[in-house]
Formats: sequence, structure tokens, C-alpha cells
Amino acid sequence: MILEANNLVKRYGDLVALDHLSLEVKKGEIFGLLGPNGSGKTTAINCILSLIKYDKGDIHVFGRPMAPDAYDLKKDIGVVMQDVAVFNELTVYENVDYFCGLYVPDKQTRKQLVEEAIDFVGLSDYRKFYPKKLSGGLLRRLNIACGIAHKPKLIILDEPTVAVDPQSRNRILEGIVALNRQGATIVYTSHYMEEVEKICSRIMIIDKGRSIAEGTKDDLKKMISLGEKITVEVFGISEEQLEKLENLPHISTVTCEGNLVEIRSHKSKNNLEKVLEFIKSENISFGRIYSELPTLNDVFLEITGKELRD
Amino acid sequence: MQVFKLCMKIFKKNLPVMTIYFGVFIIISIIMMTNSRPAEQAGFIQSKVSIVVFSNESSPLVDGMKEVLSDVAVFVEMEEDETLIQDSLYFRRIAYVLRVPDGFTEDFLSGKEPKLAKTSVPGSTNGIYIDMRLEQYLNTANLYVRGIPGIDAETLNAYTLEDLDYETPVEMQRADQRFGVEGMMQYYFNYLAYTLMYVVIMGISTIMLVFNDLNIKRRSSCAPISPGKVTLQFYLATLLFSLISWFVLVSLSLVFSRNELAGSNTPGFIINSFVFASSTTSIGFLIGNLVRGREAISAVANVFTLGSCFISGVFVPQAILSDSVLKMASLFPTFWYVSGNSQIAVSADFTESLIIQIGFAVAFFVLALVVGKKKRMAIEN
Repeated sequence: MILEANNLVKRYGDLVALDHLSLEVKKGEIFGLLGPNGSGKTTAINCILSLIKYDKGDIHVFGRPMAPDAYDLKKDIGVVMQDVAVFNELTVYENVDYFCGLYVPDKQTRKQLVEEAIDFVGLSDYRKFYPKKLSGGLLRRLNIACGIAHKPKLIILDEPTVAVDPQSRNRILEGIVALNRQGATIVYTSHYMEEVEKICSRIMIIDKGRSIAEGTKDDLKKMISLGEKITVEVFGISEEQLEKLENLPHISTVTCEGNLVEIRSHKSKNNLEKVLEFIKSENISFGRIYSELPTLNDVFLEITGKELRD
Repeated sequence: MQVFKLCMKIFKKNLPVMTIYFGVFIIISIIMMTNSRPAEQAGFIQSKVSIVVFSNESSPLVDGMKEVLSDVAVFVEMEEDETLIQDSLYFRRIAYVLRVPDGFTEDFLSGKEPKLAKTSVPGSTNGIYIDMRLEQYLNTANLYVRGIPGIDAETLNAYTLEDLDYETPVEMQRADQRFGVEGMMQYYFNYLAYTLMYVVIMGISTIMLVFNDLNIKRRSSCAPISPGKVTLQFYLATLLFSLISWFVLVSLSLVFSRNELAGSNTPGFIINSFVFASSTTSIGFLIGNLVRGREAISAVANVFTLGSCFISGVFVPQAILSDSVLKMASLFPTFWYVSGNSQIAVSADFTESLIIQIGFAVAFFVLALVVGKKKRMAIEN
């Protein structure tokens, strides 16, 4: 086990930020920590890195207890924080070199690592740029380069794509997968379920400092009773027909907005077929039809009763 | 030495701004120093007023009056023509006209109080001056007339002139003699307090602002380097910065005051400024730990530097500051630095000033450490 946290409790006065949170991260996986804003993701990361004190629990990294002075453990951990932490007075190259230098004293080795990190995040053309001259997306990439330049075994990324344009976001996500392929174990926190769903091999959903579900994305989706969401474009449907549609087996809700009818179903093998048969039998003229599987947001919604982005 | 090197890089990046500070303050210092230098003690040259005396009698008393007035007046010969006199007064060719009436000496000796006719330019200070001199003579003479009945005019004039000849020696007390002021070097070293304080506080606070950024702190805390090592390297770098700033300013002071380099007081000024630099460095640490934001640091540095320099006697001599102001100023190391310079200038013992400045340096440094630790603990909790 690369990372193991047991029964973490962290209180800020009366507020319980972490409520007996336990997690395990296995070697070579991309572990996603998914939860809405204020759910305790960053607090958990700060506790794991010994940046803040916690009230209860224990943390082991690489099988050894983590502590503020566990420097032999820290040298194999790379951290990319939610907020960009770079020096505005230094260029892109100097920033990466400085932070890499805190881990790698040898100048020659460091030079190579810094070059690799800058290439990896696609900032080769910006190496002499000062951070203030970089766009939000490029700045995030620099932030990542500063955290991973020393080639750590465990990389913790805390919401690295917040306020990033789609192009840079994709580049960052592809980079994380590439780092994982190179052998690094990744802990990735986000409140964007699409990102977590896309790159993480195992996911923990947390809310109010507690783990509410854990597993692969398929495991998580199996936990809920919700089936696919079917959207049909119709050209004229009566209230009576909508009511009949809702009364079909395994259909939970039907809503109609303009020409679009959204049908929520419970798990069943042939929901789409039944819906199509009904439309044909009622002679309802229709256009496009979409069928979507439940998302992690649906999982979160069913478990907590609220949206991930509430 | 990653942190040390980084600090140096940041100082280097701020060098153009620092150079501007240095340049501006050095120019201001030189201008102020030049303007504030003690002027050479100017000799007093008595000016004389042009007057006309009309007298129909010639007596020892009238001669005596003229003799007394001759110290402050130049006698102009003129016809007794009223139009001419008025014109002369109007065009300031003369400032005063004195008319001695007939029988003046006789009346005076008999104890009467005969009146002299005087005409002067309205509001003229010269006229008042002549009046005072005249009254001085006549009042003294009057005392003799009353004290020695039957005194003759010749004796009266002799006694009066003898009395008026007495002079009380007056020594001009210089306002800034309280601590003594000697030469250009002391002035430069006094103004150095302002420049040094501002540059050091701004330099240290600016770099502390960079390092005290919460995100940078967190990222550094994740690295396998102890906070103690980071702090040590940081303090070493800032000390080096203060040392360089001090060295530059002292070197300039020695260049500007090269004529006085041979003076025995020079090492004293240098030692005093070095100790002051250490207390300024500590103040920089404290301000850097307390204040957030570049604009706020600039404002605090300005207020603190200007305020302490004003009340401590950098711009205005301590001798002309009130006791209550000086009492307040004694809470700042600048006061003791300026006092030390004054003591050095008159070759007096300045050990007390040095010790107090060292005390300030230690106190501010400890305070800065305590504030820094409290902030760190607040973040960790």
C-alpha cells in the first residue's frame, strides 16, 4: 500500500472537516477523491502531507508513519496544490529548477529533470517567461511541473484544473495518465465528476468529511438503482401519453420540456426498446433519441440527495 | 543553499527598484545635508542711519549727544529748508531729523525736561533705534543732574559718556550646542539613517512577502527540507543584503566626506551606523512578518522611517526638539543612533547609545521570531 489513512478526524472549532475518514491507495493506481466544494478533500490532502495537524487517526506513506519531519518520505512525494504556488520573480525554468532543487541537490541531474518536466507540461516555448505573462492554463501547467519535476513515486494533485480552459484541462488530464503510465501512483482530488470518471481507476466519494462510497466507477454505478436516462425528441405528445409512458415498467420519471422528453429509468435490460415500442404504438412522431448511462453525479445524488456541484 | 540563492535572485530582480531608492535618497540626502550645514558664524556689521541735526547752540551736552549718536548715525549737512527736508525724508536720503531748541542745555541742567524736536520716516525702525540711543544718553545724564545738583555741562557729559562706554560681553549660544555638531560627516551619517532604514526595511519586507505567501509556504513544507534550514538560509541572505546596503551607503558617505576622513571620529561613525543597520534589519524582519501586501509594506516603511527620523533628530537637530518628543523618540533606535553620532562628533563616549541600539536589534528580532512562529502555528492548526 502506497498510502493509508485510518480514522482521520479534523475539527475546526465546532465544524468537523474530516469525520473518521479512512482511505487506501494502492501502488500504480489513479485514486480519485471526488466531492463537492467544502466536502473535506483539501483538508484530507493537507493532513496526509502533514501540513496541518489532525485530531485523531494515523497516516502511513510507503508503509511508514507520515510526519512533518519525515523527509525521507517527502522526497518521493510530489504535490500540486489547488492554488498556484510559484515565484513571480522567477522565470518558468527558474521556478521549476528551484522547486526541483529542494528535492534533487545534484545540479546536472536536476538540469535534466527540469528540462523533462518543462517538456512534459508543454512549456518548452515559455521557459524564459515570467508567471505573470502566462495564461491561466499555462500557469497551471507550470504549477504541475514544479510539483512533479523530481519524478516522485506518489503524486498528489489537489484540483489542478480549477479555472482552466478545456484545451489545457485535456492536456493536464492526459499528462496525469502519462505520469501514471510511467509508474507514479496518483491521488487526484476534484469536484468535476467527468474528470474523475475519465482518468481514475478507483474513486472515493466524500461528503461532509465522510466517505460515502468507494470503488471503480462501475462499482459505484452498480450501487444505485437508477438505470439509463433516455431523451427523445418528439413532435406532439399529449399529457395522457406522457402519463402512460411514466406508467411503463422500470420507468421512474418522465419530464417534457419543449420537444424533448426526458425519461429516467430503473435498472433493466431493455428500457430503450420498451420506450420505442410505446412511441410507435401511440403513433408519436419523433426525431433524435439519446440514451445515457448514470453518471457519478447520479450516484452522488442518489446517496446524498443533492448534486455534486450544489 | 537553494533558499539563499533564491533570495539573492529576488534581490537581484528588485535591484533596479532598489537602485532608484538609493539614487533618490542619496540625492535628497546630499541636498538636505548641503542646506542644513551650519552656516559660518557671520560677523555683525552695524549699519548707520543718515540723520540731520539742527542746533543753534553748541554745548558739551549737545556734543555728547552727537558723539553717542555717531555710533549709529551718519550726520548729513543740510539747509534748514522744510521742503528740502521733507523731500529728503520721502526719498530716504535721510531717515531722521533732530532739532535742538535754544536754551536746551540750560533747561536740562536746571532740571527741566526740554523737548527735542524729532522727525522721522513713519514706521521706520531706524528712527526707533536713534530714539533709543538718544533716550539712553539723556536718561543717564538726567540721573546725574538729579543726583549731583549744580553739576556743570562738561562734567555731566564726561560722566554720561563714561557710563555708556560700559559694554557687557555677550556670547551667542548656538541652539545645537547641546550635543555638538561637527562637520559634514556627522550630517551625512545622520541622513544615512533615513536611507538605510527605508532601503533595508523595503528590501527585507519585500522578500518576506514572497516567502510568507501561504501557497509557497505549503509547497516548501512538502519538500524534504526542514523549516529551520529554510529560515536560516533566508536570514543569512537578508543579513547579507543589509550588509551590502550599509556598505554602499557608508562608502558613499566616506566619498562625500573625504576631506574629513583623517578625523579620529570616522571609525566611530562607521561602528555606530553598523550597529544601527543591525537594529534596522530586525525592524525589517518584524514589519515583514506583520504586514501583508506590497502597498501596505511601502506605506508602513514610509511612515515608520519618516516618523522615527523626524522625531529622532535626523532632519531637525535634537536640541530644538521638545523634551516630550525626545522622550517618545527614545523608544526608537534612530534616536540613539543620532545621539551616538552627536557624541562621536565631540569625541564623547557613545557606548551607551551602541548598547541601547543592540538591545533594540535583539528585541525586534525576538519579536519577529515570535510573530513568525505564531503565524506558522495558526496555519498548521
